[in-house]
Amino acid sequence: MNMNELLNFSEDELLAIGLSFRVAFWCAVFILPPSVFLAWWLARKQFRGKSIVEGFLNLPLVLPPVATGFILLLLLGTNGLLGKCLNEWFGIKLAFSFYAAVIASMVVSFPLAIRAIRLSIEMVDPGYEEAAKTLGANSLQTFIRVTLPLALPGIISGFILAFARSLGEFGATIIFAGNISGETQTIPLALFNEIQVPGHETAAFRLLLVAVVFSFAAMSFSEILVKKLHHRK
Amino acid sequence: MHALSARLKIQKGNFSLDVEVDFLKGITGVFGPSGSGKTTLMHLISGLEKPDEGHIEIDNSLILDTSKNWNVKSRKRRIGYVFQEGRLFPHMTVRKNLLFGSIYANKDQQIIHFNEVVDLLEIRELLEKRPKNLSGGEKQRVAIGRALLSAPKLLLMDEPFSSLDVALRRQIIPYLIRINIKLGIPMLVVSHDLPDLLSLTQELFLLRNGRVEGHGNYFDLIQSEKSLDIMRGAGLMNVIPFKVESHDVENGLTHLINRDASHEINVERELINDCCKVGDELNVSLRPEDIAITLNEISDISIRNQLKGKITKIIKKENRTYCLVDVGFLLIVSITQASQQKMNLDVDEEVYCLFKSMALQINI
Repeated sequence: MNMNELLNFSEDELLAIGLSFRVAFWCAVFILPPSVFLAWWLARKQFRGKSIVEGFLNLPLVLPPVATGFILLLLLGTNGLLGKCLNEWFGIKLAFSFYAAVIASMVVSFPLAIRAIRLSIEMVDPGYEEAAKTLGANSLQTFIRVTLPLALPGIISGFILAFARSLGEFGATIIFAGNISGETQTIPLALFNEIQVPGHETAAFRLLLVAVVFSFAAMSFSEILVKKLHHRK
Repeated sequence: MHALSARLKIQKGNFSLDVEVDFLKGITGVFGPSGSGKTTLMHLISGLEKPDEGHIEIDNSLILDTSKNWNVKSRKRRIGYVFQEGRLFPHMTVRKNLLFGSIYANKDQQIIHFNEVVDLLEIRELLEKRPKNLSGGEKQRVAIGRALLSAPKLLLMDEPFSSLDVALRRQIIPYLIRINIKLGIPMLVVSHDLPDLLSLTQELFLLRNGRVEGHGNYFDLIQSEKSLDIMRGAGLMNVIPFKVESHDVENGLTHLINRDASHEINVERELINDCCKVGDELNVSLRPEDIAITLNEISDISIRNQLKGKITKIIKKENRTYCLVDVGFLLIVSITQASQQKMNLDVDEEVYCLFKSMALQINI
């Protein structure tokens, strides 16, 4: 195996890399608004049953991704509880599509994003929010002008974590979205395929390399942002 | 007319606050030891906390009445709250901090414009800086400016002296006095530091364990034993307004004269620091422990400040005796019980109050 071979990506592999990034990007984009809202809610509000809500939101963190994928299939599959309605009323079929890959990624990334963002909101001194209120700002204005900018590094970090987690997502995706080249076959799924076939070790190595490099870059960037958050404090 | 009148009740765990307060225009101090409920009171007035029962009027407009279920939100109350630590937004420059509230304020209700605030508080060179690059005193001035630009009807100041170094803590006083004189905005200043508070105002509310234990002029308050008891642990202080009469360059002294020109005292020019012109008014503080009492004027002594007066009241507390002496203005003098007994001091006795000029503190 030489260096040239390691960089000589096949068309299918390039497709998988491109798809992975598209899935990860849309996953992180869609996940951000609800994560910010839920993180703020959990960080700032006290209510009955908060631990249960927290437990539920963290479930995908510990549940086998395959199980998560199966739940998604049961809910959103063409014959699933919601999937049936979507299909019958709007003609939308989610399972085994690009959107299914995005949804599977979103579900498993959700707790990570919430956790990072919540941490950063909790680090914002509520005293600043009180000050904003006495100066005439309502809750939304206070959130946008004070809380959000002060928690920004954590929010970006949450975005990157969701992106990175999505790049590595395998179990839920293969169950709910399948392993369709060019449509749902992301880097981990392609890697899985290559490992299965004797003689495809070089291809497997190429994908492995891509996975390591991008995951490492994303995690380092996220760490830098967390440090920045602490520094600002 | 009352700038603010409030009746407030709240129970928080073991602590309960139950107060009735009316503030006039001008500067009013709220003095109380830590845990007496000062910050809770400020939070309730500003709307950051809601009382169990309460009624608040500012400038005769109702902002809270729990019996009528009426509660104007904090952001609509038009109360400027200057927090102890300033709470400047760290992600904004001083300029943006100052302008934060002005976009929500009604332009017709503005009491002061941006440029005036900047000049009044002398913060022009700070405008593009971030809060983390400001000193404690600078932060506080910016916080005051930010509150003023939100068009408040009332300014609440939480412990304005305690976030500053001892040497600098009184620097804020001239700014507060200037704001009060120039804008006529009523101010409520909360502090656990009596001498600092007194150098700003003599109109006081005394708070202890969530109850108002006395209110009125400081000199009336010290005549009541209960009030004296609350204040004496915090450092009683004589605060007397004087006017600069003349400078004696040769002897390094400045002559000060009191309001009705009946008394003159001398202070070292160093203390005045050449910052006062003849005719300027200033407050002189003097600790009760730094005053000695004699029955006769003493000529062969280095102490030049000897004020003749009459004892109006004697209050004994543990082993201290506090004598209130009317020397044309009221002085509170602290002596030991032994001295009082030995000298046989009593009410209506004519005495002289002696103090070294070095014992005086000047507040400009």
